Amino acid sequence: MKKITILTFAVLGLGLVAFTNHGGGIYKTNTGNINFFSHTSLEDITADNHKVKTAFDATSGKIQFSALIKDFEFPKALMQEHFNENYMESTKFPKSTFSGTIENMAAVKTTVDGIYTSKVSGKLTIKDVTKDVSTVGKFTVKGGLVNTKATFTINPEDYNIDIPKTVSGKISREIKITVDADYRHAH
Amino acid sequence: MKKPIILIVLFLIIGSVLYAYKMYNKPHTDVVTTDAAETVSAEDIFAAFDNDEAAAMLKYADKVIALEGILLSKDLSNELEPQIVLDGNGYDGYIRCGFKPEMLPKIIALGENNPISIKGICVGMNESEELDLLADKDVVLSNCTLID
Repeated sequence: MKKITILTFAVLGLGLVAFTNHGGGIYKTNTGNINFFSHTSLEDITADNHKVKTAFDATSGKIQFSALIKDFEFPKALMQEHFNENYMESTKFPKSTFSGTIENMAAVKTTVDGIYTSKVSGKLTIKDVTKDVSTVGKFTVKGGLVNTKATFTINPEDYNIDIPKTVSGKISREIKITVDADYRHAH
Repeated sequence: MKKPIILIVLFLIIGSVLYAYKMYNKPHTDVVTTDAAETVSAEDIFAAFDNDEAAAMLKYADKVIALEGILLSKDLSNELEPQIVLDGNGYDGYIRCGFKPEMLPKIIALGENNPISIKGICVGMNESEELDLLADKDVVLSNCTLID
């Protein structure tokens, strides 16, 4: 009887230790940053969104983003107007989403301070067009906060973003997207 | 006869260039000095987006909206845009309002669970039924300012 009790406690204890070390659960923020940058010899265009909603599941590695298109702020109001009305049709297609996986989630120890990397891949939807994208994410864990940084490029034509010939020289076919978000444990 | 034509053409060219320059450099909407297109409660604007997002986008998006509601929390986790959260429907619906960084001292001074009046540009509702980790619904306003 005593042996069974000791064994039960040992198994429970080991399970608890394993769970604690893994650091599962949902990490979330509503204040993530996404920047996009277009460089051509004629003009550089950049815009920022600081209210990106994003979360990841530290057990399964599932990661999701949702960003409102009208929330991208440009240095110039006219650029912002053209972006929303002419290119993104943001009243009709108000958000962009990403749903994917942190492929090597086991290597990202969300309860141990350190810097980790993992391939992140999934589906990016812009203007109701969904394409596969992948990149390498850098995860910096410090004091329970998980900062994630990643960059990748997209071609606007892949997402039905029509660029008129009159301005085609000013908008790159390789838009650099930079993601930077500080996640906190949600529950 | 030739001279007046040249002068008119020159005048038109200079006028067009000046107009283009002015348009290119036109400032962003100043929420402080712009009258609100609509005054609405947090519950009503949330219900409008929750019931028919497309119709609510046409009615509210890109407009300066004055809003009254209950301040649930302050989210100061992004120093580039301090934010506050108002109650939208009592459980999973919120109004998220972003402010310029210089507004931070005024945001810090706000008391939670108190009525609040703000003005900002409506940019839509951030929710997606397909994204299970992001189930909460947020109607979002940007460039907000506090109404005394």
